[in-house]
Amino acid sequence: MSAPVAIAIEGVAKAFGPVQALVDVDVRVRAGEFLSLIGPSGCGKTTLLKIIAGLTRADRGRVTVGDRLVTGPGPECSVVFQDFALLPWGTVQNNVEFGLLLRGVAAAERATRAHEAIVKVGLTGFEHAYPAQLSGGMQQRVGLARALAVNPRVLLMDEPFASIDEQTRRVFQDDLLSLWSQERKTVLLVTHSMEEAIYLSDRVVVLSPRPGRVHQVLDVPLPRPRESAEVRATAQFARLVDDLWKVLRKLQ
Amino acid sequence: MVLALRVGSVVGFLLLWEWAARVPISFNFPTPWATLTALVAQVRSGALPAATLISLQSLLLGFGAALAVGIPLGLVMGVVRAVGGVARVYLELLIALPTAALIPLVILSFGINIVSSAVIVFIFSVPFVAMNAYGGVRDVSPRLVEMARAFEASWPQLFVRIVLPGALPMILAGIRYGLSRAFVGLIIAELLLSPFGLGRLIMTSRSMFEHDRMFASVLWTLLLAGLALAALARAERRLLRWRA
Repeated sequence: MSAPVAIAIEGVAKAFGPVQALVDVDVRVRAGEFLSLIGPSGCGKTTLLKIIAGLTRADRGRVTVGDRLVTGPGPECSVVFQDFALLPWGTVQNNVEFGLLLRGVAAAERATRAHEAIVKVGLTGFEHAYPAQLSGGMQQRVGLARALAVNPRVLLMDEPFASIDEQTRRVFQDDLLSLWSQERKTVLLVTHSMEEAIYLSDRVVVLSPRPGRVHQVLDVPLPRPRESAEVRATAQFARLVDDLWKVLRKLQ
Repeated sequence: MVLALRVGSVVGFLLLWEWAARVPISFNFPTPWATLTALVAQVRSGALPAATLISLQSLLLGFGAALAVGIPLGLVMGVVRAVGGVARVYLELLIALPTAALIPLVILSFGINIVSSAVIVFIFSVPFVAMNAYGGVRDVSPRLVEMARAFEASWPQLFVRIVLPGALPMILAGIRYGLSRAFVGLIIAELLLSPFGLGRLIMTSRSMFEHDRMFASVLWTLLLAGLALAALARAERRLLRWRA
């Protein structure tokens, strides 16, 4: 509990017209933590992620990432989008370099850092492919590489596996976990999959819908490393998923 | 298969033409062969190339201006909503109006010269160029804009890196469509203005009952327009290779 706080969300509220999307949200994400946000649709989990990313303004409350008060997008955070948001006119290399390009990194260094990120996500050999030529899973790997290339302290992932088929998703989740254990970045993941939340996270924050507020925070005491171990088949995993389901069922 | 169909359709068209000329629909209606002979003769005599040079001047002047004005206008319309809301009304009016009706007004204002026909070419093509650029900007994926913003993109960066490439396919389509409209405007202008260019050639041949020559000029104009449009389509495919 002594780990420094990477993201502090204090009293955040947000309304869209008459709809109260978020009310009094308080969450502290520890540095290096893997934290998931889960909740029924309409609980404002994506809105909360966008507020942290500085893409949406909160009506009330404050968010700090590291020691920066969030007033707009900043260099500490990278976002991984559900629909990948890749430039269709750019190659994999162009796409991975994109964040570096916007931040004014020189061409030679861009190429090196993009190459490293491409290796990390396992896309070597696809540098010159266009997104339209890649499967959904590979496109999201490009999205992840682009996010990693700028070397952020925090990864904000908005349902990154939602548009990917089940088998690909499981492999990708394991790869994400090994990357995370090597890089020790803080990860905040928005998801609607209970298994995914339990499998990946240290803690799971359950949001209640309309208005969205923190309903409960669950610890996930599964041992790590979880990837390639048969964690999913253990009774403990099943019980944790079931506990989460019991919480979520009451919110439907 | 496509090639066979294309060749077949050309052969079919020529046969139909030959048949129509022999029936005859009118004694003034030339056969394809007569037209082709007249075409070759007029190219050789230098009449067609000379007229083409003059016509191309109005076309380049008018269409060049349409691109120089239409593309930036469309981009601004797309980026600044208020400008788009106002300007689109006028452009849509220009599209809906029988533009040829404006020609007397243009001639009155600019006189019978190359500027007049360039202005008419401009009026014919600019609404399509601008409206397509406008549509292209409005079509830019808001998700990509959001992604770039998340990487702290500045306003100019957003424009250059997301809006322009995102709008490019529609801008190019607008250029191509605008060019076909520019040819229409050019010929209409020259038919009405008459003292120069391909339009004059068509009118003189008509008034002298040289209908094979008249048809030859029309065919020549079609060839020119077709070639220019095909070249543009090719350039478009190259630029948009990523849309595999």
